[in-house]
Amino acid sequence: MLSRVANSICWMARYMERTNGMLRLLRTNYIASQNELDSASWRSILKLYSDRPDEKSEFGPEDSLNVIEHLMFDSENSFSVCNNIVRARENARAVQDNITKELWQCLNDYYHLIRQPALRDQVLSGDPVSALDTLIQQGMLYYGIVDNTMARGEGYNFLNIGKLLERSVLSLDMLTIRITEHSGDQRLDSSAWRYLLYTLSGYELYLKSYRGKFVTAYVVDQVIYNTDFPHSVLYCLTEMNRYFERLKTCSLPDSYAHVEFHIGRTLNNVKYSNADHVQLSALTDFLKTTRNEIFEISNTINKYYFGHN
Amino acid sequence: MPEHLLRGYPYNPAVWDEMIDLSDVRQSYKGFFSAIQTIPAAEMDLKHELARKLFMSQGVTFTVYSSGEGIEKIFPFDIIPRIIQAKEWAIIEAGIRQRLKALNIFLKDIYHEQFIIKDGIIPAKLVFSCPNFLREMMNVNVPYDIYTHISGIDLIRDEQGKFFVLEDNLRTPSGVSYMLENRNMTYRIFPDQLPRNNVRPVNHYPDLLLKNLMAIAGEKSSEPVVVLLSPGIFNSAYFEHTTLARLMGIELVEGRDLVVDNHFVFMKTTTGLKKVDVIYRRVDDEFIDPLVFRSDTILGVPGIYMAYRKGNVAIVNAMGNGIADDKAVYAYVPDMIRYYMNEEPILHNVPTYQLGIPENKDMVFKNMENMVIKRTNESGGYGMLIGNCATEQQMDDFKVAINADPRSFIAQPIISLSSAPCYINGVLQPRRVDLRPFALYGPDGIDIVPGGLTRVALKEGSLVVNSSQGGGSKDTWILAD
Repeated sequence: MLSRVANSICWMARYMERTNGMLRLLRTNYIASQNELDSASWRSILKLYSDRPDEKSEFGPEDSLNVIEHLMFDSENSFSVCNNIVRARENARAVQDNITKELWQCLNDYYHLIRQPALRDQVLSGDPVSALDTLIQQGMLYYGIVDNTMARGEGYNFLNIGKLLERSVLSLDMLTIRITEHSGDQRLDSSAWRYLLYTLSGYELYLKSYRGKFVTAYVVDQVIYNTDFPHSVLYCLTEMNRYFERLKTCSLPDSYAHVEFHIGRTLNNVKYSNADHVQLSALTDFLKTTRNEIFEISNTINKYYFGHN
Repeated sequence: MPEHLLRGYPYNPAVWDEMIDLSDVRQSYKGFFSAIQTIPAAEMDLKHELARKLFMSQGVTFTVYSSGEGIEKIFPFDIIPRIIQAKEWAIIEAGIRQRLKALNIFLKDIYHEQFIIKDGIIPAKLVFSCPNFLREMMNVNVPYDIYTHISGIDLIRDEQGKFFVLEDNLRTPSGVSYMLENRNMTYRIFPDQLPRNNVRPVNHYPDLLLKNLMAIAGEKSSEPVVVLLSPGIFNSAYFEHTTLARLMGIELVEGRDLVVDNHFVFMKTTTGLKKVDVIYRRVDDEFIDPLVFRSDTILGVPGIYMAYRKGNVAIVNAMGNGIADDKAVYAYVPDMIRYYMNEEPILHNVPTYQLGIPENKDMVFKNMENMVIKRTNESGGYGMLIGNCATEQQMDDFKVAINADPRSFIAQPIISLSSAPCYINGVLQPRRVDLRPFALYGPDGIDIVPGGLTRVALKEGSLVVNSSQGGGSKDTWILAD
């Protein structure tokens, strides 16, 4: 497979995963902002997904609709959902002969969907949840098409590696947001954790596993260590390792060894840690270190498989 | 006769209409027409809308990049097919075969011994003054002596219904993906009509193309690596490049994916370099190798020309074909057919006056309002003056330009293109059409898929069918006997 093609497929998957993560984050944060008095601030989210400097941000706490509009549709904001979709589609467009026609059409439809003025109007006129649901649905269609139509070849492995890289970073970021939002508030009340779990599609699993007790240690346990939870960091790394191992037979030995080292090290650092028992500040450090290690994996793949120097 | 569809369909005796003869529907259209005449207007509108939506959702679009983000446009599609009878197609097919053989021999000759110049058939000055004549191709031996692997010959019909060749496209002709997509659209909007009318299929085109590309590699490799070289996603024909690569199952590469080492061409893969044997390139000659041609571009592959020259890679179409489809050289194609093949041309040229010849120039200046004047090195409907709709000022401007550089202009009498019915605003209306069949020239001979791209000038009264000038396309049906 061409290096350029592998790179584009990987990034297509990353942008789609990021899109899904952002949409769910916006959805739960919006609902939280309507339900709760103080738990939902847009500050951390803007910091992560807006190119506007924090202090100059013109959005007040009651500006939910404008914030959502900015994060979803603002083409000036390079981190917006619509720009993610444009990039996912451009990557798909450049590798159309290596993905299935169904997959290409799905991304093309996604692109035409988010450009519909009606969707933007729906957000601004006060019903962002329906607009977000429409987009999330199309995203789910994408996952289904990938799963059911893509050949299990090299491209599929790079696609999954990209997806899992992005997903592990998203889970770390979501956890970090909730912790920093409440750094002054040692209670970390149950509703904040509840919304985090909604965002990561892990609420129902949590209820079943921990019988409705919202404790930091339990949440960290699920989001980092639970390998039955498809958004946990450990799940992502384990799966990433599995997809990467499949590349072994068609890799140059030297390239394989370098990337394998980084994935293996990160996997073990997470697996044999005990972040659910440590202080909040140590936990934040752990999240940060893990995030950096994951970026290191990505850089190594860039270097040895995609020909970036 | 159905009332709503033919309401006010004007019959113009000065124009050949593909569907109507005097006031009756021609034999070729009878079957299809009797099927659609019972369809209510509202349903026809739905079909029209369905076609548009399908093109959009399948990404059958070209992107116009202005101010950063691209705008998606679809190539306008008219739902009424253009229908050609078996006996008409037989003439077209024989004519194109003959013409391509002659043009291919011409290319071999002009880049080797140049007998045609020595025998005084074509003036040397005309050949050497053509900007598309590549000295770099002199004495280069190309595989199987084939230059014009893929060509699109533009045909038009005069008021008698006789076919003329308007242009030969021998470099990187595009449009074949629209031929395939238009056909896919027809069976969605007019179910059962294709088998009922006994329409010959076109969907084996990619198989034929791949067969020919593989054959070009010859004995060099039992499993040749064939790639399609595209300029990238910003090219207006990018959709076609991806479609063909997908349908043939070959790798779509860009210049930056290829590298030349020791006069062999390789592509950069996740597992290192992999040798490439055949390149179907959609990058023009001047961009293909910055070391030999234009050095201010990175679309091509440095060093690819030498690899080609040494015979280490086959390039389709050959470089330097521009000399054979130059608009001034075109005037000599009938002479080439007589000279190389000792046959009379089956398909005629439109009479063409080279303005480099002084008598021609005087004659054309006197009759400018009846002439189409074209620049020899432009295409896409640009650099063209149509006498009967030009202003005095435009004519004067052209005269000045012609006097300055007569070699770069030709003139042709205005041919009234044939018209075909189009579904516009709820009724059928005649619009002017041309036809571009696609021919594949391989070691085993010439294959012509029974079909082609019918381009249509959607503006009323317009004679310009190019997509850049408001043209659209139609599905083209060739009926079996």
